[in-house]
Amino acid sequence: MSDFPGRPPAWSYWVVLPLFVLFWAAIAWLIKSPLLPTPLDVLDTLMQESASGALWHHLGVTLGRVVVAFALAMLLGTGIGIVMGRSQTTNALFDPLLVLLLNLPALVTIILMYVWFGLVEVAAVMAVVINKVPNVAVTVREGARSLDHRLEEMATVYEFTQWQRFREVWVPQLFPYLMAATRGGLALIWKIVLVVELLGRSSGVGFQLHMAFQVFDVATILAYSLAFIAVVQLIELAILQPLERRSSRWRQPEAAHA
Amino acid sequence: MLELRIAGRSFGKPVLGEVFATIERGDRICLLGPSGIGKTTLLNAIAGLDKALPPGSIIRRDTLRVGYLFQEHRLLPWRTLHANLKLVGASDEQADSVLGQVGLAGYGHYLPDQLSLGMARRAALARCLAVKPDLLLLDEPFASLDPVMAGELKTLIAGIMDASASMAMICVTHDGRDAETLANRLWYLDGKPAQLQWDDAVGEPSLISDLLGKLRDVEGVDLV
Repeated sequence: MSDFPGRPPAWSYWVVLPLFVLFWAAIAWLIKSPLLPTPLDVLDTLMQESASGALWHHLGVTLGRVVVAFALAMLLGTGIGIVMGRSQTTNALFDPLLVLLLNLPALVTIILMYVWFGLVEVAAVMAVVINKVPNVAVTVREGARSLDHRLEEMATVYEFTQWQRFREVWVPQLFPYLMAATRGGLALIWKIVLVVELLGRSSGVGFQLHMAFQVFDVATILAYSLAFIAVVQLIELAILQPLERRSSRWRQPEAAHA
Repeated sequence: MLELRIAGRSFGKPVLGEVFATIERGDRICLLGPSGIGKTTLLNAIAGLDKALPPGSIIRRDTLRVGYLFQEHRLLPWRTLHANLKLVGASDEQADSVLGQVGLAGYGHYLPDQLSLGMARRAALARCLAVKPDLLLLDEPFASLDPVMAGELKTLIAGIMDASASMAMICVTHDGRDAETLANRLWYLDGKPAQLQWDDAVGEPSLISDLLGKLRDVEGVDLV
């Protein structure tokens, strides 16, 4: 364990990022190449794409794919993870497959899905899901293994229904693992979705990056990247962090002992 | 109301020998025996928690509501006391009423880990009462409490048992003095693997002291 908290103070963002932009502007101004546009050029491109509606359309499409793939991967991975963590037999059965899938390059899954199912939406989403499920399963399995057997006994004695057991006993214990899977999952899925779009879709941020790459339009590439980073951060701040705060409130030693 | 035949139980090495016992309504049993002898193992079997009893074991019981006071409170730490009670089927009024009964009126909105050990144990006892139990299982209810708190809890449990003639209780303890206040029957677990011996003194509290004295002489064990 390190001695300082994971999150640096807020001011560091307001100092380091502007400094980085200045540094970038200086280099761009020095070499004056279309391959490295200035921050202002990128902002200009961003405005144009936004005004034409292209940016919103492609961001929306990508976001949609991310949401669907994420939801499916979490659902499947959580189910598999819980069963594997609770049953020795299932674990023995699935673990070798999990190892196989974990080490399979994402690109291979994407190519195979496109080859087998054609350049269609289902293949695209499936490729992402297959890439993500093993990670979720492994993380949730860890959580399922660490479930407190004493609370299980309590739930048995007091005749909890299966739903109560899941909702009241398991989910709160699994929550840190689900959050870890969510964070890792989003980061991974965003990136894979872009590759999927680049290789076989005609919409989405990945597709736009592909088009810009064809003509070495670096300003567009950076503009889309920035928009993309903004959306990811927005999800982090607006959804993930509040969710985490809300669900770990019971851990706060607010009133200490009564 | 409950008939128990356990054909032994081992965890790697044998812990319990063959056990036969019956429990009737109104029984107040103190289960005595040295630490680590298998008292909790036996209690878990009675509660129906032991899914791996050897073949030939029978636990025949009427449909009983069981209240189990574990050594730890085992309340859900992410739920308030009130919510914990509602989860076992108590209504709002019942939840408030049992909290009052154990001296925790007004603590319904507290989380379990905000309470002291003694309070948390009483909150767990409130949950036992919330299911309106036929059988109350208490595993070392006075362990790690200071003498004053232990005494209060003992009085509370004795009062609860006095108030209900149809309820039965099994209280695990290694302290013979608990038995003198609470029990009308004694179970004694000892040996390797442990054998269960019992003595009845139903309705004759003074006999409990005699029995305890006899156990001290015969077994040569320190019950206190």
